[in-house]
Amino acid sequence: MEEISVDVKHISKKFRLYHEKRTSVYESVLGYFSRKKHYEVLQALDDVSFDVKKGEMFGIIGKNGSGKTTLLRILSHIYQPDSGSVDVKGTIIPVLALGLGFHPELTATTNIVQSGILLGFSRKQISDKINDVIRFAELEKFADTKIKNFSSGMQMRLAFSTAIQVDPDVLILDEVFAVGDLNFQKKCFDTIMDFKKRGKSIIFVSHDMAPIRDFCDRAMFLNNGKVETIGKPSDAIAAYVDFLGRQKQS
Amino acid sequence: MTSIREEMWKTKGILFNFAISDLKIRYRNSVLGILWSIIEPLLLLGVLFVVFSTMFKFDIENFPIYLLLGIITWNFFKNGTSIALGSLSNRAAFISQIYFPRAIPGLSAGVTASIMLLTELVILAIFMIVLNFSPSITILYLIPIFLLEFLLILGLALPLSVLNAKYKDVEFIWGVVLQAGFFLTPIFYQFDMLPEVVRNVLQFSPMVQIVTMAHHVTLYGELPSINSILYAVFSVFIIVGIGYLIFRKLQARIVEEM
Repeated sequence: MEEISVDVKHISKKFRLYHEKRTSVYESVLGYFSRKKHYEVLQALDDVSFDVKKGEMFGIIGKNGSGKTTLLRILSHIYQPDSGSVDVKGTIIPVLALGLGFHPELTATTNIVQSGILLGFSRKQISDKINDVIRFAELEKFADTKIKNFSSGMQMRLAFSTAIQVDPDVLILDEVFAVGDLNFQKKCFDTIMDFKKRGKSIIFVSHDMAPIRDFCDRAMFLNNGKVETIGKPSDAIAAYVDFLGRQKQS
Repeated sequence: MTSIREEMWKTKGILFNFAISDLKIRYRNSVLGILWSIIEPLLLLGVLFVVFSTMFKFDIENFPIYLLLGIITWNFFKNGTSIALGSLSNRAAFISQIYFPRAIPGLSAGVTASIMLLTELVILAIFMIVLNFSPSITILYLIPIFLLEFLLILGLALPLSVLNAKYKDVEFIWGVVLQAGFFLTPIFYQFDMLPEVVRNVLQFSPMVQIVTMAHHVTLYGELPSINSILYAVFSVFIIVGIGYLIFRKLQARIVEEM
């Protein structure tokens, strides 16, 4: 039997969609007395279950707003699910929205150290890796440049190389290749394949179907917070394309 | 066992890293850098000294040191709580990308303020030497007094950090509280100068007691009164307790609320 590295069971998550979000104390006090319902409930995830095996690359596809990012945030502990459980074996590192929590006012080097420490390394361990991270990201010239002056591609390269150097057991990649150039994309996929061979797992979200089809072992099609299809990437993609086609007609 | 200890070690690393990056960001693009944490209280000292020693003629012994000690003690409180205030909301992008315990930014604000306090205490020492003032051994009691203040700062830092992430106007409300607090704390006057009615109310303020105690042990070579100690410890513990409850209630969903 194959070992499971991420086990997700019956996760549900609701969000409040505020009509007028009360962001001040005054509005909250006022709203408390007016008793008007000022939000609607959005079911972002509805009873989602799946697992990712060791050494597997697992793709997630779906429209914008289908719950992909919410799911990834729950996997990385950033959100708490309303119900259900997530069990991750080993360390998990998310590369979400092109960053690893970089601070725009700090330099690339300082940010690598900060992220490394947040991800559980000692200052010394991470200092030894700075050069490798910078070299892999091909950002030698910009090591002491502040992140706010980086392009989105450069930020993504830095985030990806930091995550890879930290060497987690599970790596989450959310739309990371949308901004990288072709050379760097190839380098990333080579690294990911090597990563996979060493028995690590990757959860991969993309709107580009080609890498899902070519690299993923299995894929999941998420629709309106529900799992529509889990299985071979080609099946999931077919279901997704079919769904998009039906939506266009109606 | 080891895993809990490892967790603590990790957290400690993050705490200090945050504190240092707080300082770096605070003084970015400033020529004088951390010297600002020395210059700022000195400028305030200059203004208050001129106003209250020449215009109002307060008759307080060793007024420059009295004033400087009051400003430094107050600054510790002001810096700690105001850095904590923005500590989560300024990291909104960060918090939605990576997980770490939500208490860390608030707690690290206390550490940042402590580093600033240490630099300011150096000026106090220089002033004492220049003015040829030799404090008695009771000055060592400043250590537990500042520790108590540190606890007070943490007790406010945690709720302020989450409240400000949820409600943007907490920042303005706290600004007013700090402004009022500066005048309602015996920094440039003595507590006895106030009418009794006012004193009866203000004695419940932990900062009033902390600043008074700091003055006593440094300038008069006295131990703080039992009354002061009881009021201070009691009010600090109430604030820490309530603060922790607020933090615990709000912290889990704070990322979604931002």
